[in-house]
Amino acid sequence: MIVQALQALFTPISLLAVFIGTTSGVIVGGMPGLTATMAVALLIPVTFALEPLTGLLLMGGVYCGAMYGGSIPAILLRTPGTPAAVATALEGYPMTQQGRGGLALKVSVVASFTGGMFSALVLLMIAPVLATFALTFGPPEYFLLAILGLAGIVSMADDENRLVKALISGLIGLILAVVGTDPMSGMLRYTMGLTDLFDGVAFMPALIGMFSISQMLELTGAKSIVTDKTLITKIKKEPLPKGIGKPMALGSVVGTIVGILPGEGATIAAFVSYNIARRRSKNKELFGKGNPEGIAAAEAGNNGCVGGSLVPTLTLGIPGNSVAAALLGGLLVHGLIPGPELFTKYGIMTYAFILSLFVANVIFLILGLFMAPYFARISLTPTALLIPVVCLFSVLGSYAMNNSILDVFIALLCGLAAIILQKTGFSLGALILGLILGPIAETGFAQALIMGHGSYAIFFNRPQAIALWGIILLLLVPPIYQIYKHHHQQKG
Amino acid sequence: MSKRLAELLILSGYLILAVLLYRSTASYPPSVQGSTAMYVRFLGTALGVLCTLELLLWFKNRGQGETDKLKLTTAPIRFWGLAILLVVYAASLSMLGFYLSSAIFLPIAMLLLGATKPLSIGLTSAGVLFFVYLVFAKLLEVPLPGSTLF
Repeated sequence: MIVQALQALFTPISLLAVFIGTTSGVIVGGMPGLTATMAVALLIPVTFALEPLTGLLLMGGVYCGAMYGGSIPAILLRTPGTPAAVATALEGYPMTQQGRGGLALKVSVVASFTGGMFSALVLLMIAPVLATFALTFGPPEYFLLAILGLAGIVSMADDENRLVKALISGLIGLILAVVGTDPMSGMLRYTMGLTDLFDGVAFMPALIGMFSISQMLELTGAKSIVTDKTLITKIKKEPLPKGIGKPMALGSVVGTIVGILPGEGATIAAFVSYNIARRRSKNKELFGKGNPEGIAAAEAGNNGCVGGSLVPTLTLGIPGNSVAAALLGGLLVHGLIPGPELFTKYGIMTYAFILSLFVANVIFLILGLFMAPYFARISLTPTALLIPVVCLFSVLGSYAMNNSILDVFIALLCGLAAIILQKTGFSLGALILGLILGPIAETGFAQALIMGHGSYAIFFNRPQAIALWGIILLLLVPPIYQIYKHHHQQKG
Repeated sequence: MSKRLAELLILSGYLILAVLLYRSTASYPPSVQGSTAMYVRFLGTALGVLCTLELLLWFKNRGQGETDKLKLTTAPIRFWGLAILLVVYAASLSMLGFYLSSAIFLPIAMLLLGATKPLSIGLTSAGVLFFVYLVFAKLLEVPLPGSTLF
């Protein structure tokens, strides 16, 4: 069947569909406010007119390309093209400021390729087995998974003062996520009567405000992003830095596993990978100042999510994340029902689709490596022209998610607040992490307590939950010990 | 304003938020008092405890960095000018529509930030708007803010 699938894939029309899909994905992912979900959803009606396989290949290409594309503006302009690229911006933008934006883009594309290839391989080899394991996760495990993501906040601090401020920032993010409809009762909370807040504070406008608008406001005092312009011309000659292999491998595994869990997204995968890499790195002190290891882990993590999220989508009909949900819609309109039949009766099409993910990864790798030096030149644009244009796209991106002017004001407010919070030592990364993980944490916590009839024992008496507690402790102990040691050294 | 004073004001604001958040859960329906209300109470309590701890640390280190100013930018006129311009731009979107308000915002912001060449200002503004029209409006059919005046 694999041979027949390869034959179906290596036809000019199919390859063209993968190429167009991947290229469009990179462009869409590179524009703040246009997400992979939106692009795949918009493609569904287009695929009506196409052969089912061609339509699927187009959508798969967009998914892979967009996941990588989000890292380009995140690195060059500190404006994540997709929410999954926030962790990339934390390391990528400082590298751009040092004139190493091209290298950061190279690391990003290689890591994205590695993560994408690994997860596609996992999807091809062990999809049904892993999907069954993911089904054993219930609300307590989802809550603990959110805690696992939040544990990263601790590693964002290096002394007790910073730790408390990082935790406060994370809590503010969790509190902002509470705004909207109560997931259990349907009651409206803290919406001030604004219908646009019924679904909660949309995190894309908040994210655009905190990372993009705040950066543009800060840049008003500079003539260009890069201080040493001569470094930009050296991009082609600079080899990949040493030591990025381990974080890439780690990100690929973490991203694939997180992707397999229904409802978990590439953003969480990127943050979890980034935080684990930060903890395990020999150059911890360089994190936040432009460490390629951080980009490698985050990008391998979010692209690792692509194949992972398709495991439950194709085998059980449970989408791994919102993009996979849109893709599932595309499958259903063509009469392709997820389940065993997809791997038997429609096996050629399904395997051709899975194999096309490998091709899509190769396409964006070539595209990224070839185009990196040209993309990096964006950082040479005079700020007088660049800032208004980025602000326009930030406003557009904030509006386009929900067609809401209120979202634009939220982005502006978050932008101004971000500058003040950052200058007073609060962590924006922790805040955004809280905002993203808040709904998963709240729903998991509330549902688990209902399941356990109000008893907290439910968080400790299941094997999966115990395993997750173990991982959380493993993540928390080393940074807390480091802070304790640092505190004692200062006293001494 | 000094950085230390700004920190104190933010922490005090958070502390008030923590109290209000905790108290607000009393109005939650009885059916969720043991689930989501509990979660929100936990958030309120945790925020209150951490803010108190940070305030204690603040008082402990009171002498340090007392004179450090909270410097938001090195170019205050451009910074606040752009901030105000962005608010006006956002407010004008629903009235003037996306294209007209952007056509006004882009050149003014460029002039404010120090661009001097009319040709590059005009070409960049027109190019960006044409790109948005082509990709967002025509190709992807993303709805853009419309005008209520015209």
